[in-house]
Amino acid sequence: MRDWDGGKGNRDESLRRLREALSQSKSDLSRSWKIYRRSLLAMLGLFMVISVSLVAIFAEDIAVEHPYRNLQDTEDKWSIDYEPRRADPFSEECDWHEQKITTNPNSPLFSEIVVAESDDKVGDDNRYYRDTLSVIQFIKLEDSLGYDLNLSLLSIDPSNSSLLVLSPELYGNTSLYAGVWVTYEFDNEEMHHWWMPDGYDVCIFGTNDQGHDLFSKVVYGSRVSLKIGITVATLTVIIGTIVGSISGYFGGRVDEVIMRICDIFFAIPGLILAMAFVAAMNQITSLTIPLWLGILFPIFVLAAFSNTYLNSTVPDDDQISEQAMSLIMRYRGVLLALVGFIFFVGWMPGASWPDFFGISESRSWRAFAALGILTFLGAIILADRRFFLNTSFEGGLGRIKDSFDWTNPWRYLTFRTLAVFVSLALLFSFSGSEGEEIVLIKDFDRLWKVQAALIFTGWPGYARLIRGQVLYVKEMTFVEAARSVGARPGRIMFRHILPNAWAPLLVAFTLDIGGTILSASGLSFLGLGADAYTAEWGLMISESRRYFLLSPHLMLYPGLAIAVTVLGFNLLGDGIRDVVDPKNRR
Amino acid sequence: MKLHEFVVRRLLLLIPVMIGVAIFTFAIAHIIPGDPAAIQCGDKCGVIVDFTEDGEPISAYEANRIRLKMDDSVTVQFWRYITDLAEGDWGESLLYHRPVVDVVKDAAPITLEMSFLALFIAYPLGIILGIISAVRQDRMFDHVSRFFAIAFVSLPIFWFAMMLQLFLATGTEHGGICDPIFGTEGGCFPIYGRHDPSYTYPVDGYAWYYPAGGTGFHLVDSWFVTDEKLATLPSEWGSNWLLFKDTLFHLALPCAALGIASAGSLLRYMRASLLEVLHEDYVRTARAKGLSEFRVVIVHACRNALIPIVTILGFSIGGAIGGAVLTETVFAFNGMGRVAVTSIQYLDFVVIMGVTLITSVIFLLSNLIVDITYAIIDPRVRLE
Repeated sequence: MRDWDGGKGNRDESLRRLREALSQSKSDLSRSWKIYRRSLLAMLGLFMVISVSLVAIFAEDIAVEHPYRNLQDTEDKWSIDYEPRRADPFSEECDWHEQKITTNPNSPLFSEIVVAESDDKVGDDNRYYRDTLSVIQFIKLEDSLGYDLNLSLLSIDPSNSSLLVLSPELYGNTSLYAGVWVTYEFDNEEMHHWWMPDGYDVCIFGTNDQGHDLFSKVVYGSRVSLKIGITVATLTVIIGTIVGSISGYFGGRVDEVIMRICDIFFAIPGLILAMAFVAAMNQITSLTIPLWLGILFPIFVLAAFSNTYLNSTVPDDDQISEQAMSLIMRYRGVLLALVGFIFFVGWMPGASWPDFFGISESRSWRAFAALGILTFLGAIILADRRFFLNTSFEGGLGRIKDSFDWTNPWRYLTFRTLAVFVSLALLFSFSGSEGEEIVLIKDFDRLWKVQAALIFTGWPGYARLIRGQVLYVKEMTFVEAARSVGARPGRIMFRHILPNAWAPLLVAFTLDIGGTILSASGLSFLGLGADAYTAEWGLMISESRRYFLLSPHLMLYPGLAIAVTVLGFNLLGDGIRDVVDPKNRR
Repeated sequence: MKLHEFVVRRLLLLIPVMIGVAIFTFAIAHIIPGDPAAIQCGDKCGVIVDFTEDGEPISAYEANRIRLKMDDSVTVQFWRYITDLAEGDWGESLLYHRPVVDVVKDAAPITLEMSFLALFIAYPLGIILGIISAVRQDRMFDHVSRFFAIAFVSLPIFWFAMMLQLFLATGTEHGGICDPIFGTEGGCFPIYGRHDPSYTYPVDGYAWYYPAGGTGFHLVDSWFVTDEKLATLPSEWGSNWLLFKDTLFHLALPCAALGIASAGSLLRYMRASLLEVLHEDYVRTARAKGLSEFRVVIVHACRNALIPIVTILGFSIGGAIGGAVLTETVFAFNGMGRVAVTSIQYLDFVVIMGVTLITSVIFLLSNLIVDITYAIIDPRVRLE
């Protein structure tokens, strides 16, 4: 019979400690905020970042026009053909609209009273619709050959200003071709915003050559840029942290190899590498992994986690596992040869890959699979004894039976089990029903490619940074203490070293968001980034190069938007650096 | 460790990295979609060009495949690629129909000239402003210069370059802020290109008056143009000095666009480095001796503060070559960056491999030189 009151004291104690830690972290935060607040530039940066984020979040409410949004696509494509005409910022031409009127009495479209309508617009439900415009005055009337006609041939209905009345002369005159073009000024009321002064409307930044409202495009561009910046920075931080902490913690040969790989990445200029990588991914339309990998990976994760859990509950002096390990170690050479054989056979044209793994024949897949095998090979060579020690599955069944404690199921609700189940759920929720493959990203469009390329080129910087930090923290006494009580590498890494090494990482992360936005816009500028007419700032500058002298505003505003966003993140990063790294604060 | 041992060790460390880069470029070039054999023959791929011994027809496409030896396994191809590289045969461009070595040889000096000049401007500027900023710490100058340093780092290079073009190279009637200083049209700086187009008068072709087989660095080559070639130019252009000045004027805006970010980051590094040094004991000693503040800062503090700055030089060279991709696109320089962009757009993967390799070689060598310099200046490095 269990004594349920026995745990109460412990719970109270742990609650007390939790409260203490919370109040401690709260006072830490408020102290940091006090330091941060001192710097005017840092506050400016915070303000800029917050305002850009707000603009991105509320883009739909702020923008006047909206992009055509394919819901399966990750990007907002601007394919509204509003009016193919460039307008300068703050110009009155933005209230002008050109409309074609059929004047042939035999045409089915003919009518003596014409409704003034806007061009086709695309609503949120992807359906086309037209707005009714209320006409103020006529600007121009042209026949279909482009000759001016007398404006008095057309008049506005006095009772309803959105109805245009055709005079009989206009359609009675048979010398005219089938239609006329009328340009009129309309009441732009619906496009006025409460926060804009009267008269400044859709044209606050002007329109580009396609008639897209530049202001709305810049506003929506903040979404694309922030998304790229934050996604790429987060993923590079994760990859770089994992690789760098492995490299720094284990040292020796692992460290040597990882650092040489990083050297290779550093040797090639980042932008050129990213360009080549984007080009290399040209034909990939969706990111998929073969089913066997998708099934094996969670199993491996599960095995690794349960293994560490079992190791922590069961005393670790098992003769069988020792023997098995030594067996593997003895035939290590054979194992290596086997893997190497598979690797080289894979490159030979005669042997077909589908026979091995059931994956497609494409060149890129060969490379990816070969990379995977290479990693495996490297892991076996490098990981040495330690690798086998940490993943011995021997005697598992008996231990599982022993370790299941049905009386208290709550003990299984740890972070690790949660992580395993979440990763399983994510993998299967992303998986499509495409035969033998699991779809990770369905539309691997060009923005995704840019992000993949930037992640690919970005992680070595973080790996090096984290490695330095880990090397520094590793020598401290508390790590020694943790190791002496028998904590395993993973625990030491995540519980002891990384929490003490996060400060420069946070700074680098913030600065890197800005850097990524710059690189992504640079790639788009070179034509390797976003698709045409996406609301991406770099692409907008690139598209405006043709109108360089005529309408410099087309490149002015997107460029300012990039500069302000990146500046905001840089100032924020500097401010955080001042807080977390007192050495630089002077 | 002696200095020469250090150098040899660093040189040996370069070898695995270079092999890694070669593997890397090879892998990327083979992942890039597109069949080089099909690209080379274009729309004439089906044309029968030859017959085998058995009388089977060979199309142009198949002939290309045989010529490029594409039916070998990838390992064999890679081995051939490495040995060819070592022999100096970098393959032939699919787009330019020239050996890659020639393409790179034409393009590299342009990029190097621009990057080095940009760094040449950026370094003194960043260092001097950094010193002033550190000495006047927390005063107005410090705040303003720090803000501008961060702002310049945050500017997108291509946009800044286009803004320079707009304001300095278009003349007042187009919205620029200055008019031509001498001879040229537009603003006070030329808008793009390496030379004034009127210089090519009266012979077509681009840089005909530069000595054939010159260095490719036109700032140097302009001094070696012979008199009879100068005589064919209009009299107002006919001097080496004017040729030099023309080249310099054309380089001004690209270098400003390229160097401004380096200057900004240098200012920040220099400021931090000098502030650290200024708190050292020997600076206090120097002050206690009654030396003038100028002497304390410039002679005693700066010498040690400049040591870490040397290491940044290596990275700024890499940054400048990367940034050159954008600057060259804006200013229509046919340097390495432009070649890289064009070859990637047209999937000319032989050139992609060559350009990536050569940029990494330049980067690694300059880093090596920087490291050696560092080891000479600060002998403690060699002891590790």
